[in-house]
Amino acid sequence: MGIFSPKSIYSIAKKEFLDNIRNRWIILLTILFVILIIVFSYLAGGQAGGDGIFGDMQNTVFALLGISSLIIPLIAIILGCLTISGEAESGSLNVVLSYPVSRGEVLLGKLFGLGSVLIFSILLGFGLGGIIISATYGAEAWGGYLAFIGLSIFLGFIYLSLSMCISSFCRRRITSIAGGIVIFFWSLIYGSIIIGILYGTGYSFDNFLTGNVPDWFFGSVVFSPSDAHQTAVQLAFGEKTISAMGFSITIPDYLTMELLMLVHIVWFIVPLIIAYFLFKRRDI
Amino acid sequence: MIKKTVGCPNCKTHIEIQGEPGETIIITCPKCETKGKYKFPVEKQKIETPSYSFSIEVENLTKKFKDLVAVNNVSFNVKKGEIFGFLGPNGAGKTTTIKAILGLIHKKSGSIKINGYDTIKNAIKSRKDVGYLPERVSFYENITPLQTLNFFSELKRYDKSINKSLLKEIGLEDAMNRKVGTFSKGMVQLLGVAQVMIGNPSVYILDEPMAGLDARWVKIIRERIKSLNEQGATVLFSSHILSEVENICDKVAIINKGKLIAEDTVANLNKYLKMKPRLKITIQDLNGVVPVIIRDLEGVENAEAKDNILFVTCESNIRSKVITKLEDAGFKIIDIKTIEPSLEDAFVKLIEGDT
Repeated sequence: MGIFSPKSIYSIAKKEFLDNIRNRWIILLTILFVILIIVFSYLAGGQAGGDGIFGDMQNTVFALLGISSLIIPLIAIILGCLTISGEAESGSLNVVLSYPVSRGEVLLGKLFGLGSVLIFSILLGFGLGGIIISATYGAEAWGGYLAFIGLSIFLGFIYLSLSMCISSFCRRRITSIAGGIVIFFWSLIYGSIIIGILYGTGYSFDNFLTGNVPDWFFGSVVFSPSDAHQTAVQLAFGEKTISAMGFSITIPDYLTMELLMLVHIVWFIVPLIIAYFLFKRRDI
Repeated sequence: MIKKTVGCPNCKTHIEIQGEPGETIIITCPKCETKGKYKFPVEKQKIETPSYSFSIEVENLTKKFKDLVAVNNVSFNVKKGEIFGFLGPNGAGKTTTIKAILGLIHKKSGSIKINGYDTIKNAIKSRKDVGYLPERVSFYENITPLQTLNFFSELKRYDKSINKSLLKEIGLEDAMNRKVGTFSKGMVQLLGVAQVMIGNPSVYILDEPMAGLDARWVKIIRERIKSLNEQGATVLFSSHILSEVENICDKVAIINKGKLIAEDTVANLNKYLKMKPRLKITIQDLNGVVPVIIRDLEGVENAEAKDNILFVTCESNIRSKVITKLEDAGFKIIDIKTIEPSLEDAFVKLIEGDT
C-alpha cells in the first residue's frame, strides 16, 4: 500500500470522528444499544433465577449476543457504506483528494476515525452495562465479558471494512445503501439458509434436536462474520454447548478460538484490501 | 574540510577551528582555557525542484468513459501568474480536464504537470501548492467551519491559527461555531473559497466558482480571484459566465465535445475570428422588423431587430451609410451605440463552427 503519513491519517481520522460522532442515527442507535443492554441484563437475570435485578455477565452476554450481532453491524454499515460513494457524490471527497494526501491515507484515516466512533458506542453501551451488572450482581466471568467487548469491536471493524469496500465499489449513494442492506440481511438470514441446506440434504428436525448434525454445519460459520462472532463469544466464556429452545448442540473440537480469530482477521483484511484497490482505481 | 571562527562563551576570544561535516571537536580557549564542544554542521542535501515556466502543463490529455471520449488529445499551458479561463458548453469536458489535472480521475493517455511535477510520478508533490474549488462544493455537515478549515490546514501542514482571521476576512465570523450543515449555498461556497486559500498556494484551480450564486456573492468571489492573482498566484478558472471570464482572464481556452478548439487572449480570439463590432441603433416604432434597405445593403453581414433596437454587423466603412439609409427612409433614430465583439460572440462562433 506504499508509505503512508501517520499525520495525514490522524487528521482524517480526527475529522471523521468529529463529524460522525454527531450523526443523529449513530446517537439514536447508541442510546438504543445502552437501553437494550440494561433490559437484556434484567431479562437474563430472570432466566437465571438469580436474586439480583440484573443477571450475571455470562447470562447477559448470551442474551445480548443476538441483538448486539445486529446492532453493531448496523452502526458499522451506517458509518461505512456512504463514506466513499456519498462523499464522492456530494463533492467533499474531491476537495480532500486535491490535497497532498494519498488515497491509502484517506481510506485508513476513515477506517480509524469511523472505527473510533464505533468503539465509543460499544464501550459506552457495554461499559455502562458491565458497571451496572458488576455493581448489582458481581463481576463473575469478567474476563469473558471483556473478551465479548473486544470481539464486538472486532465484529464492528469487520462490517466497517465490508461496508467501506461496498462504498468504494458503488458509484452512487443509493447503490451503496442497497449494498449495505444486503450485507446486513446476509447476517440475518444466513442461519436460516444453513438450516434450509441441512434439511435439504436429508437431515430432520429430530437430528437437530439431538445435536446429530454434520461437521460442515458448524464449519459454515466461517461464511458469516456474525455467526463466527457468536461462536467465538461462546468459546470465550468456555461454553462449548449451545443451548436454545430446549435443545443443545456441542461446538466441534476443530472449531477453535484460534481458527475463529483467523476467520475474523480474513473477514476484516480481505475487504479492506479490495476497498483500497477499488478506491485507488476509482474516478472521483 | 570546513573552516570556522567561533567565539569563546567566557572571554569572547575569536578562535579559528576546522573539521569535517558532522565531526565534533573539543575546543580549548587559548586565552582563558575554557573548554567546549563544537559540532560541524552536515551540509543539507539540495532538494531537487524541477524548473518550470508554466504552472500547469497539459499535453495530449485523453480521457475515456467506456466508449465516450470525454477529453480528446487536449494540450494547453498556463503561465505562472496568469488567470486562464477555461470555457465550454455543458458536457464539453471542462470538469473532466480539471479533475484529470488534480488526479481525481485516471487519464487514458497524455501527461500533466503542476509546478513542474508530473501528477502521476509525483502526485503528492504536485498537489502541495494547489488550491481547488470544485463546481459543487460540499463539506462535512456536522462540524463547524473552523474545524473544517483546521482539518484542511492539517492536511497541508499549515498554520491553523490564521483560520479564524480567514473566516473573518471572508465574512463568516458570525457563523464560526455553527454546523456547516446549516449553511446556505453561498456560505458553503465562501467556505470553499476560504478553504482554497489555505497555505497561500501558488496555483488555484476553480471550477465554476460562481455557478448558482447571486450577484453579491459573485462580486465577492470575483474580487477575491483578482486579489489572489495580484499577489502573484496562477488561476485556472472555468466558467460558463462568459462576461466574467472576459473581465478577469488574461487568456482563454475553449473546449467543445472534448476537443480544444481555441486558446488565446480574448482580443486575439476576436481578431482571429474576424469578429466585427456591431451597431446598436434605437429606432422609434421599429417593432422588431429589420428594414429591407438594411438587409439588402452591401457590406452588411448580419442585421437583427429586437423591439425598437436594430443590431447591425458590418464593415466599419459602411456604418455611416447604414445611418444615412435609415434616415433617408424616414426612420427616427433615437440612439446609436457601437458594441465591440465580446467573448460570447467569439465563443458562439467557435462552437457553431465546430458543430
